[in-house]
Amino acid sequence: MKTVFNFCKKHAVSLILPLCIILFWEVAAKVVDNRALVPTVESVLKRFFHPFADLLGIGNYLHHIFASAFRVIIGFCMAVVIAMPLGLISGRVPILSRMINPVIEFLRPICPIAWIPFALVIFKTYSVANLFGVQYTRSIFGDIQIGMLFVIFYGGFFPIFVNTVYGVTSAKNIYIESAQLLGCGKRQLFKRVILPSALPSILTGLRIGLGNSWMVIIAAEMLPGSEAGLGHLIMYAYELADMDIMIFSVILVGIIGSLLSHGVKLIENKTSTWQAKER
Amino acid sequence: MSFLIIDKVNKVYTGKTNEEIVALQDISLSCEQGEFITIVGSTGCGKTTLLRLIAGLEQPSSGTITIGENAVTGINEEVTLVFQQYSLFPWYNVLDNIGFSLELKGVDKHERIERVQKLISLVGLTGFEKSFPYELSGGMQQRAAIARALAYNPKVLLLDEPFGALDERTRHRLQEEFLAIWEREKKTIILVTHNIDEAVFLGTRIFIMRDRPGKIEEEVLIQLARPRSRQSKEFTDLHLHVRETLENILE
Ligand SMILES: Nc1ncnc2c1ncn2[C@@H]1O[C@H](COP(=O)(O)OP(=O)(O)O)[C@@H](O)[C@H]1O
Ligand SMILES: [Mg+2]
Repeated sequence: MKTVFNFCKKHAVSLILPLCIILFWEVAAKVVDNRALVPTVESVLKRFFHPFADLLGIGNYLHHIFASAFRVIIGFCMAVVIAMPLGLISGRVPILSRMINPVIEFLRPICPIAWIPFALVIFKTYSVANLFGVQYTRSIFGDIQIGMLFVIFYGGFFPIFVNTVYGVTSAKNIYIESAQLLGCGKRQLFKRVILPSALPSILTGLRIGLGNSWMVIIAAEMLPGSEAGLGHLIMYAYELADMDIMIFSVILVGIIGSLLSHGVKLIENKTSTWQAKER
Repeated sequence: MSFLIIDKVNKVYTGKTNEEIVALQDISLSCEQGEFITIVGSTGCGKTTLLRLIAGLEQPSSGTITIGENAVTGINEEVTLVFQQYSLFPWYNVLDNIGFSLELKGVDKHERIERVQKLISLVGLTGFEKSFPYELSGGMQQRAAIARALAYNPKVLLLDEPFGALDERTRHRLQEEFLAIWEREKKTIILVTHNIDEAVFLGTRIFIMRDRPGKIEEEVLIQLARPRSRQSKEFTDLHLHVRETLENILE
């Protein structure tokens, strides 16, 4: 009890606004008095306590969270695996960066959602399962459509790439020269100076990229071809005019999104204290 | 033949509007192993540039620099430079910073820590092994940077205004510590400063530089016995002489 009290005391300021919003919501629900328009706070929040309850006949919310998360993990990892090395190299090789920069700068401002129709045409509704020739079994891989991976990848790629390049190119000359003057060769220089210099910026890129991927997947799941995922759940609830579940799913999206961002932020804080404190 | 020879070195930079900036003009000096050379001159007279050339970070526009048998054509293991600005790697703690070159050489962890510990106590940073640079004062960072250079164990150690940012008392204490290190390790040292007192107190020879273009104005041999007293007449006379020379340059 005491720890709960202390927690509230410490975070009192941050709790004021959320409580106000909930209060406002509750009042609005009372005033409107139409659950199809504004559901009550209780009817929405109580769903948190029934993680295994089937929603609208398409599975419980854990299932949908899992489907969305799994897609994002795979798509995002692909983005990391390609964007980060590419950023590291192009940050060190000016010719390469001059070659690919125009393309990057052209593609970067295009919202990944704009590519969804294109992805649907190219990849149809093929899933990773189809890719491996597993046609008819329903496995988790059946829920990972290639088109979705493509847009998640797209959403994650640019922040990671741009921030990695920035991190690598902003390694201070004085550290590079100091290392060289202490007998540090090229390869070691990369490992011991360039990479640590770039790390804070790379992590920022990862955090923004992951956030982007998460935004994009929800949108992608609302489109045809999707059979699971929080976006799908939201859209399905919309079609059945179930405001409760719609709002509940949106809240889930928000919670998971902020958890993801917070997780990376924790790693950032752990590894880049020196940068925050550098005078 | 002397150990370190700088022979008719010129360094010309191209400025923003394509004008020529003669940073160094016709610099010649030579020194023996184990000497402690100090260089004084006002800001902008090319002191940093000279050190960068000796360290091999940059190439002279003309002229040559030789250390031992070899002409300096790039960074090499004979020489290292402690920068004027803070240069400790902010992502390493004091221990890892000082042990940087040892780790590169593959010295095993046990021996590395032992050697680094010795240097840490030498520069008076005991208890700060695990501290990160941002947790240290400017003077402590500079001491750690000196220890890091000593760990590398080069024959020639170049120092660019290493005690510049310190208050007088701390500066005097560090100068004395540093002299002790020099006497024990028998290194060749070239120390740049704009502080006359420092140049006279530390050096076996002083080179006085003038600016625009950067040139050596005068060479002063200091034959004062150590430990030197700042109050002695010889010391104050030398101090006065260097100051007058520098003031004449400004006129
Ligand atoms: N990379 C550079 N490009 C152009 N000019 C430079 C460069 N480095 C130094 N200079 C010029 O050379 C002169 C000497 O500089 P520096 O060696 O830093 O002087 P000091 O260390 O004595 O203060 C200055 O006029 C400076 O502006
Ligand atoms: Mg300077």
